[in-house]
Amino acid sequence: MTERNYTTVNPCIMCQPIGSVMAFKGIENSMVLLHGSQGCSTYMRLHLAHHFREPVDIGSSSLSEKGAVYGGSENLKKGLKNLILRYNPKVIGVSTTCLAETIGDDVGRIIAEFRDEEEELASDVIIIPVPTPSYEDSHNSGYIKAVEAIVKEFTTGDNTSDIFNNKLNVVLSENVSPEDTRELKDILSNTIGPNSFILLPDISETFDAPMTGELQKIFPGGTTHADIADMKNSAATIGLGITNDNRAVSYLEQTFDIPSQNLPLPIGLEYTDRLLAALSKIAGTDILDQYQKERGRLIDAMVDSHKYVYGTKVAIYGDPNNVLGMLSLALENGMHPILVVASSKSPRFAEYAMERVKQVKPDCDVTILEDVDFDAFNDAVRKAKPEMMIGNSNGKYIAKEMGIPLVRVGFPIHDRVGAQRILVMGYHGAMEMLDRITNTILEAQEEKLAAKWSEPESYVPLGEDSFHSAEA
Amino acid sequence: MPDITSVISTLDERQPYITLKQAKKSSELACDNTSIAGSMSQRACVYSGARVALNPVTDAIHLVHGPIGCASYTWDIRGSLSSDKETFRTSFSTDMKELDVVFGGEKKLSKSIDELVELYNPPVIFVYSTCIVGIIGDDLQAVCKEATERVGIPVLPVQSEGFKGTKSDGYKAACHALMQLIGTKEPEISSEYRINILGDYNVAGDVWLVKPLFEKMGVQVITSMTGDATADSISKAHGAQLNLVQCSGSMTYLAKWMTTEFGIPFRKVSYFGIEDLAIALRTVAEFFGSEEMMARAEEIIEHETKRIMPEIETIRNRLQGKTAAIYMGGAAKALTLIKGFRELGMEVVIIGTQTGKRDDYKQISYQVKDGTVIVDDANALELADLLVRQKADLMVAGVKERFLAYKLGVAFCDFNHDRVIEFEGYDGFLNFARELDSSINSPVWKVYGSKLKPAVDDDTATENRSDLKTENGTGLKSAIKERNNMQDLNTAALQEESIA
Repeated sequence: MTERNYTTVNPCIMCQPIGSVMAFKGIENSMVLLHGSQGCSTYMRLHLAHHFREPVDIGSSSLSEKGAVYGGSENLKKGLKNLILRYNPKVIGVSTTCLAETIGDDVGRIIAEFRDEEEELASDVIIIPVPTPSYEDSHNSGYIKAVEAIVKEFTTGDNTSDIFNNKLNVVLSENVSPEDTRELKDILSNTIGPNSFILLPDISETFDAPMTGELQKIFPGGTTHADIADMKNSAATIGLGITNDNRAVSYLEQTFDIPSQNLPLPIGLEYTDRLLAALSKIAGTDILDQYQKERGRLIDAMVDSHKYVYGTKVAIYGDPNNVLGMLSLALENGMHPILVVASSKSPRFAEYAMERVKQVKPDCDVTILEDVDFDAFNDAVRKAKPEMMIGNSNGKYIAKEMGIPLVRVGFPIHDRVGAQRILVMGYHGAMEMLDRITNTILEAQEEKLAAKWSEPESYVPLGEDSFHSAEA
Repeated sequence: MPDITSVISTLDERQPYITLKQAKKSSELACDNTSIAGSMSQRACVYSGARVALNPVTDAIHLVHGPIGCASYTWDIRGSLSSDKETFRTSFSTDMKELDVVFGGEKKLSKSIDELVELYNPPVIFVYSTCIVGIIGDDLQAVCKEATERVGIPVLPVQSEGFKGTKSDGYKAACHALMQLIGTKEPEISSEYRINILGDYNVAGDVWLVKPLFEKMGVQVITSMTGDATADSISKAHGAQLNLVQCSGSMTYLAKWMTTEFGIPFRKVSYFGIEDLAIALRTVAEFFGSEEMMARAEEIIEHETKRIMPEIETIRNRLQGKTAAIYMGGAAKALTLIKGFRELGMEVVIIGTQTGKRDDYKQISYQVKDGTVIVDDANALELADLLVRQKADLMVAGVKERFLAYKLGVAFCDFNHDRVIEFEGYDGFLNFARELDSSINSPVWKVYGSKLKPAVDDDTATENRSDLKTENGTGLKSAIKERNNMQDLNTAALQEESIA
């Protein structure tokens, strides 16, 4: 809707606290308490429940007018106490909201006071404050900040071990689906061994819990506390996601001298190759036959699909690292990514996106945008006229208006089931994604063909008047 | 507090909010308070109350003054439908950043309003304030007043700072905004009998199944607030002679104001369930004192009831004796649901609301059987414990409760923003019955909580039952055994052949 300078119309981002929630949900036996008004936690529970289709509990300090005027200390302490009494978590992330930040609560001090006052109750609970005001950055930065705070908290302190463990840390810098997390764990288990890596965060079980016949207060799963504490003794770190600074990775490197490298999320052939090559180098082993075969099957699938997808103009949007991966996948299959849009601003998204375009399809005209809202994206779509969109369900309005198909991937997906089980990572994920994309194109083509060759009005059916009629 | 029996274990402070209906000693339920920190309340904030009550106004721009989150999480989540413009499904936010927080957001808000008027030419703009606006002290009233004069359309402030009260206060803020519109245009009068439908949000098209019933009775419906309402129709609401209030929690405040301001009385009704629908139609006919209208109403009631009854009865046979848990935002819906369930042969065993008041709970208490649990501002764990304790077969609530119920093997029906089929009117009730049937009688509940048992004889099963791998292993073992037997047979057969 043309030039706007002051209003955001249909936002592409969510606020920082929800990012921190997604990170904390990947930690064993943990809960989050949002320091702010009751609505923040409820809205985020709703938003996450819609996507993951799981119960999502997020505590709130339920700040009221009194708390806002005289400080939220009393509410925060009470919230912590009640959360411990009811849920018995071993980790509580305290993420602030814009309200708590603006009234200037010193969350660290309040937590220290709480520890003193409730010594017995709080003795074995790790409480991690993360400042995540909603008026700064986005859910993506909230995620990174929370992961960093978690690593710092667990690796600081006297009673942690400092015996070299010869393990590999793998630290995500952007939210990925539970299914993708499972795929990552499989790849790591198979290549460097089931007990040789520490993946953080791990939402594979906590946001996609099997139906067991009982409701757990906190779903089992997530990176274990012992593992997080042990991250400082690892041999190396791989940060997954390259568009933003993965603060936990830099922290581990700077503080504990753990060599690190950042790799793109393993989406598509090239980026999966990079991860597997890095893992083979780290483990000093050849590429497993299993993955050679899987890779071969992917290439086979790419050959099967290449004619259908070649040149298809596609608009890709979502969180920066996911978009970068999807861009790579689209490019290597001969698609034409005409519009590539990251929800939030990140230091290196545009650069890497352009680099990938130049590597694969240098003559491709592509528009790269970041930190825009869906209204600006809509304008760009109208101009670029893609034939297909790839991204979260918030793009459905645009796709519908343009009359083009939308392949749903990313977060949030509120209008379809199975968002938690969408697999895009690894060779396996690339195959699934490519099949979905190709079949969507085929379906659209069938419709087009049907329209093109549909019965013309002038067509005279076989019947009495026809030349072929029985009476003739 | 001492006369309250502890129904389930929860925080001490929460005990007064949960009670068991008992014939002799009924204790009064605590309610209408702010939520307890850390209790995992299912409630949202003041802003959410204002947003749900106002958002369905279809052609309005709903501008959220605050950081992006508040707009993000409320973008098109209401499920309300429109018969014309769809502006309300677009999310508008001033997206306040750190600098706006430090230096104030008034300027940005003004410019944002100007820009939106220029681009969208809306008939009205509602400006919602969020937590932060209340803290930094932006003068929403002044900005909106100035803007109204400047841009020539009503720009109405909705004072909904999240922390300043509860969801109910948000309803009031929404009503205040509506008050600014009502009476500003002359209504076109097409019937001597005119009503407004208040407290219906046209979720999944509910209003469209109700309005025609009144029109068949010769009644003109001036506006429905706020489901499928337009700024124009709201402006003419004072042309009605009667207000029907359904969602009483959100709209009674407005109805009372309209009584004082315009002398328009109101009646509380519901369009859900056979009995309540009949009451609603009769109430209107009675109010206008027209025998002809009453006869028409009776005709509709008889005809429509007859039309849906055969299927309702078939479904009732399948639902008979099942138990239901109700957890609703407001008390009006909870109350009408009790009757609805009864009409389908089901019994309510838990009933709770987020925003019920003292009188609401009294009424609820009259309506339910002994042994029913009544709860205010329940939280996730309480609801889970109650579903188990009360052996509920089905829960009716909103999205947050849905997956909790599922994990406990309890069927679920969404009676909130998320549903895509109408539940009001005669066809709506049929939809409701069908949905309960499909939820409760789905075969998925037969496998709920089951585990795969190893396919081996009892004596060997004892050694391998811990996990799937060994189960497969055992399965394989027996398969191998079978194959070996087959081989033996084959060899035997070969031998026989060679002998022959």
